[in-house]
Amino acid sequence: MSHAGVRRARFRRSPLGSKWTPYVFLVPAMAYVAIFQLVPLIQEVYLSFTRTNLLNPSHNVWVGFDNYAAVFASESFRQTLLITLVYVVACVVGSVGVGLLVALLLNSRFPGRGIARALVTIPWAAPGIAVAVIAVWMLNAQYGVITHLLTGLSIPVGQGGVLDNPDLALPAILITTVWQLFPFTAVVLLSALQSVPDELIEAANVDGAGKWWTFRVVTWPVIRPTVGLIAVLMSIWSIRRFELIWLMTRGGPLGTTRTLVIDLYSQAFDSKQLGTAAAIGMVGIVISLIIVVGGRLVASAAERNS
Amino acid sequence: MKTRARFGVTFRVLAVLIVLGIVVFPLYWMFVTALTSDEQLFSGSVQFLPDFSQMDVFATALAQGDVLRWLLNSFLVAVGTMVVALVLGVPLAYALSRFSFAGKAVIGLALLFTQMLPEALLVVPIFAIFRETGLLNSIHGLILADAAFVLPVVSLILKGAIDGIPREVDEAARVDGARPPAVLLRILVPLIAPSIAAAAVIAFFTAWNEYVFAVTFIYDKELQPASVGVAGYIGEQDTSIQTIMAVALIFTLPAVAFYLFAQKYVISGMTAGAVKG
Repeated sequence: MSHAGVRRARFRRSPLGSKWTPYVFLVPAMAYVAIFQLVPLIQEVYLSFTRTNLLNPSHNVWVGFDNYAAVFASESFRQTLLITLVYVVACVVGSVGVGLLVALLLNSRFPGRGIARALVTIPWAAPGIAVAVIAVWMLNAQYGVITHLLTGLSIPVGQGGVLDNPDLALPAILITTVWQLFPFTAVVLLSALQSVPDELIEAANVDGAGKWWTFRVVTWPVIRPTVGLIAVLMSIWSIRRFELIWLMTRGGPLGTTRTLVIDLYSQAFDSKQLGTAAAIGMVGIVISLIIVVGGRLVASAAERNS
Repeated sequence: MKTRARFGVTFRVLAVLIVLGIVVFPLYWMFVTALTSDEQLFSGSVQFLPDFSQMDVFATALAQGDVLRWLLNSFLVAVGTMVVALVLGVPLAYALSRFSFAGKAVIGLALLFTQMLPEALLVVPIFAIFRETGLLNSIHGLILADAAFVLPVVSLILKGAIDGIPREVDEAARVDGARPPAVLLRILVPLIAPSIAAAAVIAFFTAWNEYVFAVTFIYDKELQPASVGVAGYIGEQDTSIQTIMAVALIFTLPAVAFYLFAQKYVISGMTAGAVKG
């Protein structure tokens, strides 16, 4: 038998085919992701070192780190960073906090629990566009139901309504975001809570431990890794969130809701500065990376300690 | 002791009702606003119950202008995105779950990394690529862009699902002489059908809801999807608020209905994707 014949015979007998088999399955998908994610990303990295106008995007002037220097030197970008930080932290704390409370509630026994668990996911299923449309209407300066409510509680919203009020616009967007996110965190945490062994909770109850103590000693250690993971997921999702903020305020009033992604979009499409926009985008990606890597480090440190 | 327990249940039910009220109210408010007469709307007092004599607002909304075409365009984009994401995602998930090969860890990290890329950033270079290749202003171009963003999520969900099937199942089929593609299509795919359904729902509605690409790549009104159409109502003065709310509700209900319908599988899929991804 020829050499090739031996190899073919071995190929047929080996349990998973040849060593090339996995690549047959993964190359189409990975090539596709490379074309539509990796190549554009590399182009953005390049653009961030150039001066490029949206109207003439193939004319790039290499400027080194000038875009980054200019961005970090600008007062308005520092405000953007601060707003992004506030927005992301509040989204994470809000969605994980509310999600955990709702998950604990839905994990307890009450009539109609199945229906409640299903209905609670509605905000997460609702399209962001529709959420923005209804939020803008509910906050309408003249006819908005929330405007009426706030006026009734003698909270002044100002002439242009909540979304035109520099003190209230960001909180309004935050509440809308948390409304849309908490069902996701609640459902993920609920499935983590269901993996807490009932015997452990009963044992703690028999020992006379209070509710809070049982939670801290029995429940929390089980769900902590999940809490960490969704906190990381919520923060990277919140850094890249665009349409809800863009449609509700476009970053206004007075730039008080201008997060990184809003800033980069208006740099690209209003100011037509693709280089500046790209540099801002890179800052956002680096922040996301730091959060993910930091999250992993904290998680593995916690594992070693326990 | 007994009264205390009963108090506990009452308290819980009350808390759940408050949560559900907060969850449902905005959608309910869309419905109520759609069914409000002009006189009521501008009377200055808030009306909390729908006026069912105004039901024809939905028919008017659908008959008016471009709404049906928007919905059809959205449907085409969503179906296309779903098909592309599944056709590429199922084999990728299989490779990641069942084989060990050089670069596997890198691919896992790359898929996770895509979750950090804002659409609003990549929209500029993808626009340039599309202009070069004639994909601008076309439904299939939009499908290609949307599918690339949802493919990593779909693959991670499906990988989690295949991980949950014992290896002995496909090894048994291998002993019977089945080759890897047959193992995947005839054995594994039927077993993970619920997760595939979940991934399909997620892919479909990611594209259904997608806005940034659609608003940037499509400039022909004929090809506009509903997300762009509905978003265009914000700040616009010509359309009545009742019509806007009716259209927004028609745009929202399929998403909510499908997620509720496929919920059990979507949630286990998302949990697997989130926790293991």
